[in-house]
Amino acid sequence: MAKRLFLFLVLVFAASVVLVACGPDRDSGGDSDGGADGDSPEQEKPEELLVWADEDKAEGIEGAIAAFEEEYGIEVVVEELEMATRQREQLNLDGPAGTGPDVLTLPHDQIGGVASQGLIAPLEVEQDVIDIYTESSIDAVTFEGEVYGLPKATETPVLFYNKEHLDEAPDTFDELFEFSQDFTDGDNYGYLALWDNYYFAHGILASYGGFVFEDQDGTLDPSTIGLNNDGAVEAAEYIQMWYEEGLFPDGIIGEAGGSTKTGLFEEGRVAASMDGPWAVQGLNNAGVDFGVSPMPELPNGEYAQTFVGVKSWNVSNYSEYKDWSTELVTWLANEENSLERFQLVNEIPPIASLIDDPAIAEDPVAEAVAIQSQRGIPMPNIPQMDEVWGPMADALQLIAIGDQEPEEALDEAVEVIRTNIETNFGE
Amino acid sequence: MDIEENDELKTKHRKVAAYLSIFPGGGQYYNKQFLKGLFFTVTAISFFVVFYDLFNIGFWGLITLGEVPMEDHSIFLLVQGIIAVIVLAFGLLLYGLNIYDAFKAGKRRDQQLGKPSIREQYRNLIDSGFPYLMITPGFFLLIFVVIFPIIFVVLLSFTSYDVNNRPPARLIEWVGFKNYIEIFQLDLWRRTFFSVFTWTLVWTFVATTIQIAIGIFLAVLLNQEGVKFKRTVRTIFILPWAVPAFVSILVFAGMFNNTFGTINIHILDFFGIDPVPWMTNPLYTKIALIMIQSWLGFPFIFVMVTGVLQSIPNELYEAAKVDGASIWQKFKSVTFPIIMYASAPILITQYTFNFNNFNVIFLFNGGGPPVSGQNAGSSDILISWIYKLTLEQSQYGKAAAITLLLSLLVITVAIWQFRRTRAFKEEGMM
Amino acid sequence: MSMKTEKIIRLTLTYFVILIVSAVILYPIIWIVGSSLNPGNSLSSSQVIPDNATLTHYKSLFNLEESQYLIWYMNTLIICFSTMIITVIMIALMAYSFSRYRFVGRKYGLMTFLILQMIPNFAALIAIYILAVVTGLIDTHILLILIYVGGLLPMNTWLAKGYFETIPHDLDDSAKIDGAGHFRIFWSIILPLVKPILAVIALFAFITPFTDFILARILLRSPENYTLAVGLYDMVANNYGAEFTKFAAGAVLIAIPIGLVFLSLQRYLISGLTSGGTKG
Repeated sequence: MAKRLFLFLVLVFAASVVLVACGPDRDSGGDSDGGADGDSPEQEKPEELLVWADEDKAEGIEGAIAAFEEEYGIEVVVEELEMATRQREQLNLDGPAGTGPDVLTLPHDQIGGVASQGLIAPLEVEQDVIDIYTESSIDAVTFEGEVYGLPKATETPVLFYNKEHLDEAPDTFDELFEFSQDFTDGDNYGYLALWDNYYFAHGILASYGGFVFEDQDGTLDPSTIGLNNDGAVEAAEYIQMWYEEGLFPDGIIGEAGGSTKTGLFEEGRVAASMDGPWAVQGLNNAGVDFGVSPMPELPNGEYAQTFVGVKSWNVSNYSEYKDWSTELVTWLANEENSLERFQLVNEIPPIASLIDDPAIAEDPVAEAVAIQSQRGIPMPNIPQMDEVWGPMADALQLIAIGDQEPEEALDEAVEVIRTNIETNFGE
Repeated sequence: MDIEENDELKTKHRKVAAYLSIFPGGGQYYNKQFLKGLFFTVTAISFFVVFYDLFNIGFWGLITLGEVPMEDHSIFLLVQGIIAVIVLAFGLLLYGLNIYDAFKAGKRRDQQLGKPSIREQYRNLIDSGFPYLMITPGFFLLIFVVIFPIIFVVLLSFTSYDVNNRPPARLIEWVGFKNYIEIFQLDLWRRTFFSVFTWTLVWTFVATTIQIAIGIFLAVLLNQEGVKFKRTVRTIFILPWAVPAFVSILVFAGMFNNTFGTINIHILDFFGIDPVPWMTNPLYTKIALIMIQSWLGFPFIFVMVTGVLQSIPNELYEAAKVDGASIWQKFKSVTFPIIMYASAPILITQYTFNFNNFNVIFLFNGGGPPVSGQNAGSSDILISWIYKLTLEQSQYGKAAAITLLLSLLVITVAIWQFRRTRAFKEEGMM
Repeated sequence: MSMKTEKIIRLTLTYFVILIVSAVILYPIIWIVGSSLNPGNSLSSSQVIPDNATLTHYKSLFNLEESQYLIWYMNTLIICFSTMIITVIMIALMAYSFSRYRFVGRKYGLMTFLILQMIPNFAALIAIYILAVVTGLIDTHILLILIYVGGLLPMNTWLAKGYFETIPHDLDDSAKIDGAGHFRIFWSIILPLVKPILAVIALFAFITPFTDFILARILLRSPENYTLAVGLYDMVANNYGAEFTKFAAGAVLIAIPIGLVFLSLQRYLISGLTSGGTKG
């Protein structure tokens, strides 16, 4: 009986505590968990702004930051954080906890997801600020009609070749194929590409008529997927041929494949390689004498329509000083500072007036990337794109290993993508 | 306990004191223990003052998961709610103690034993309090490191938190058993779940059994009379355990590379065998994983069994020898039963360890190579799939649900095993 | 005579097996040491016995301008020692209580935690992260140490309790009669007798931070706070094929100290594990 008495009393006590909980007192606004409230144009000046820059790229903005501090008297703290995955992950939790940045940098294919999650704020900037960038790069950072970032750099895969083995870049893939058959001997490789990774394979698929989501007057329709249409299958067969002929080794398939391939090329054992402009630094360090050109022409007479990625500066939705953060973004992405950044860290800015600037026009990498960018198409930036990478990588790997016929593999990948989009984005 | 007997006592001080303690300290005042009463009253009041906000926001958040998108962050509210529950539990503990104390003191009065002296009370506190004092720091730590995450996972599995429902722009909702149902209802998920589950079981059973067998075999082998260099050999056999596992696994990943790994280009080549597609063929990846886990796992068993063997008295073998037993007979009827008797519980924990052995699967081939038509790779086990679901695909709700399904299984096996364990029966605990 | 031949055959076979097993154990180790001495950078070019061995990879790891390896090493050692000390103290206290006192929760308390610990907590990483951010412990070593200690407690208390049980209760009873207090009995009578198991636990605690790369990777964010496991994993995760030889050098440098500690505690390992694990 005594036991029951304790239990009863304790439960009553617990229930009374739970019941008195009635939530935050909204009127006084005492405890807002996040979300900045003040957005007035005449915003108070902050003491400090926090910027998350990409890994190894902070030195490119040092000058611009110093000038900004000088001009406005706001201290700017720059932290380096890997861009492709960690900035998004950490903003997710640091933002609401109040330890997040004011300005960050994201690849544009994440913009849809991050914006619809409410993590970044649309930018309120004048039209003439936007006008300095190429139209396609602004499209890339626009989601549901709002501009969510100012373009910082553009990149797309191009052809790197080792001048020791190749005097000049081949014009067509047929040429490259023939050369490869002669050159590849188990120790050396004529041409390598990570075509089991959809980012790189897309260029081929798209040129043959494949597409990710159908483009309906500028908006992408995630319910129409073109990754297993006739063109895509034909392209996958072409990709498979390279592996079947033994021109691509098994050792570069899968997640660790990229770095293995990079290693081979840096050692001078590869004549030509499909890679992004980010490979330049490593090649220079390794002392390889290399040339760069746009991707060659495919057997069907088309150029590879590679994915173009735009990295942009964005403003966190958790920033208390969105106006000043926008000001900083505009500053960092303006012509002068973009050019300086290019010279320091080789990030090619998609600014129309700079494309003809001698500093960029005469740089072989920048030139090749610029030409290839015009042939390519921007990566989709709607959140549904997240569901595409995994299944497509799986399908392409199975195709590369030869475990599955292209058509079957792509059909199943599309099935998985469709199911995941319906389950996760349906309702 | 002895309540019946108590009810025969004439006075009712114990009950009155207990009821009065509904107001913390009340019973103590009634028992004329003013200092103690004051302690309970003050503690209770400050408890509420300090934690008022936490309870207010915490419980409200736990129930609603937030009401205004962008302002309320459901996951933060969930965390706060759990903390509130934990703090409240401590409060209740104290509150219960307050009532119990009043009841006990009242009982002493009923029994007309008189009030204990301060000195007596102090001694009492030290004697019965000493073990609590010693385990309290550890207990607190465990609450936050073990209990808190589990409550979170359990609650998460009933929410709609996934890739398209992420705060702050959206609020998360309680969705009941939806995640559990969907895992079995949606084709893609069901297929993946069962294929991963099957491999998890095969993996756990085969990899563990092999590593145990090798460990026992080598320990017995080395424990034979007349074997020289025992210490050196033992040292070599412990090496795989002494190298951090994540390092060895990454090294193996390099060694097994199809084109450039040393296994294919040096070892198999030396024996005239064609290269094997270790990393790209599901079957070979699985074989490689089992071999690697055997390499990593046998030293632990080896060390333990060696210890057991050294404690077996020689007379047992002498007796067997007189009976003319062969080596195999000796092993079967003397050595093996003793090993099993002595170390069965530890051996079984090896199975639960491998069931959750994330490192080897994730680091060797990232769960790959892929299989078509499912959400996980061919060598993924449940735990590595859960990792991918949370850290790569943001399927938090479903990942939590799968975690709990998996845990249910592991825990059932574990409890069954512990119940059978000799040590428990000896202590009469279960 | 036949007994002797049998013995010779048996021992020959034994040595043969030992030889093969040793080869299987040593090959990866020799291979990684060989890789670390290769002049090239990548996996594809590394050889077991390099043509012209070089220490460049070790040098570049030790060069503070090129890599933060040394800082990571320092961090790891700090975390390891703190984890070890706190764990051993807490476990000695807890195991003593569990083996010598009767109190609420003694029966099932330890068991419950042991079982609850089997629930994987990947799905809860987010919660731990939020807690860390809110309390300001994110990116600090204290947080990691606390989590490691917490994780080590149940299993090792279990092991230690088993060992404590093997020490006769008469000892403390007679001490009690002599008027020794609770703490004195623990400190000067029990503690000296349980050294072997505490050594084993110290070893387990010490190597935990060396092997964890997931928690540490999520909870530490600035490279200057990384532990070796995180730093090395990051290095390989991004650049497995291309920086393989440097990774190999880093791996060798991790394995050597741990290996030495392990081997020097071998004796305790066998006795501690046997009685702790089997009587538990």
